[in-house]
Amino acid sequence: MKLAVMSCIHGNYEALNAVLSDIDRHKTDQIYCLGDLVGYGPHPNAVVEMIRSLDIPTCQGCWDEDIVDGLNACDCSYPSQLAEKRGKQAHEWTDQVIHPEVREYLANLPITLQAENLAFVHGSPNSQHEYLLPSMDGFAALERVLSTGADVLFCGHTHVPYVRDLEGGKLSMRVHQPGQAETQKQSTVSLKRIINAGSVGEPRHGRPNATYVLYDTDSKQVTLREVPYDYQKTCLAIVEQGLPPIFAWRLARGMEFAERADDPNHVCQR
Amino acid sequence: MEQWAILSGIEGNLVAYEALLDDIRRQRDSVAELYVLGDVVGLKGDNRAVVQRLQSPRTGELEPQVCIGWWEEQCFNLYLLGGLPDAPELIAQEGADTAQHLFESVSRESVEWMRSLHFGFHELDCLLIHGSTVGYADELTPDMPAIQLCDRLIRADAKNLFCGRSGLAFECWIEPSDLCSTIVTLEGTQAPKEQGRSPRRVVGVGNVGRILGQATYTLYNPANNHITFKTVKYGKAKGFALQGSQSQHGHESPDIRASR
Repeated sequence: MKLAVMSCIHGNYEALNAVLSDIDRHKTDQIYCLGDLVGYGPHPNAVVEMIRSLDIPTCQGCWDEDIVDGLNACDCSYPSQLAEKRGKQAHEWTDQVIHPEVREYLANLPITLQAENLAFVHGSPNSQHEYLLPSMDGFAALERVLSTGADVLFCGHTHVPYVRDLEGGKLSMRVHQPGQAETQKQSTVSLKRIINAGSVGEPRHGRPNATYVLYDTDSKQVTLREVPYDYQKTCLAIVEQGLPPIFAWRLARGMEFAERADDPNHVCQR
Repeated sequence: MEQWAILSGIEGNLVAYEALLDDIRRQRDSVAELYVLGDVVGLKGDNRAVVQRLQSPRTGELEPQVCIGWWEEQCFNLYLLGGLPDAPELIAQEGADTAQHLFESVSRESVEWMRSLHFGFHELDCLLIHGSTVGYADELTPDMPAIQLCDRLIRADAKNLFCGRSGLAFECWIEPSDLCSTIVTLEGTQAPKEQGRSPRRVVGVGNVGRILGQATYTLYNPANNHITFKTVKYGKAKGFALQGSQSQHGHESPDIRASR
């Protein structure tokens, strides 16, 4: 069975169309989406309507959650307070233009999806806001996969695609409790895999192309896809809609924009 | 180096806390630090008296370093100072009448004091906390899968994680090794890396007030990394009366008298 998995569309209809066309060309059996349908981009309603019309199983992203729950999420992931202000501007704009039925759809998205030995989440199994970066400690990453009961964990949220294989990890455990004999256990974990689908609508891998992944459940082969599209159309729409122009600037470069942090000690107040 | 006394879960039981302080005073190796890992209030005892006792140690006593526990979080919620104003965890676990009882047993001033407490303490290579960095309700036990305990130690960024949520006294050494991590990005395949860590430890510090007549706590010597679990027997099986004390390993302690 051939799967296509995408994430972080962020209201970028042009990019979504390009990715769906690319998926068509690869003749996949099933598409999954890992959330963040809205936010930053100029076409949140059109993106959600397209995903709904294609009946694509989708889990809830952090932006989808925020639009429903009203920015109660942790904003610590912003690189600076200026970036956080821009994020809030985008939130307010999206909150104003979004249709009631779109909001309801986002509210009812599941946090996780599971299909046999595959699990699908936006950030991590713990939270839509946790980043599973490739630099994360291997055993911590392994714990995230094991907590789902799956062998393969698909995630997004970082906007940079990667595949990480975790193999052969051993865990020794020795327990002492008062009045009881000491116990020892050792276990070895079989191959587990994290597949980050990157971002359709707001890539940050250094180029403006949309990214997603193809996965063959029989051969276990993963293909990281990079799809060119007319990103300038989206950039223009961002500016026309009155969203912060820096969103267009960074979209054209495929990177996060972060000025020097106003407050490097900014900590979560959630 | 001198020892640390680490305890959790006084749960309003002042007599148990007094018995434990007496036991600490009797230690041959002196105790330099006193850590209280939350749950100073509870349902059965005198919460106001325990808070007052912690706030005002007597002359010559150690200043207790107290962090927030599960019961304190419930008080924040009941006094509309927490993230969950209806205290759903508390009501689901104990019922609405119990929630009302807890509300009445702590003053607003006590709750304000609790709000000023730390979430945990990082000292040397140790994290001292009620639950874990995941949250105050995270209950670490020796029955948890090793990978979860390993994760909590990695998150703690410490070699020793002292916690009190479970109320159990235990030490659990975890050694992760031989994990081969290979990463593929759009730019290509990175060289595989083998990951492992030196053994680290989760320590459950016991519970002071939950079981009447028996308080457990932990002594830790940072100089040699040695842990001693202490059990202090006191009083009768009911009420909070105080009669005697017996330490772990069968060493009989002299009778102790403490006033409430």
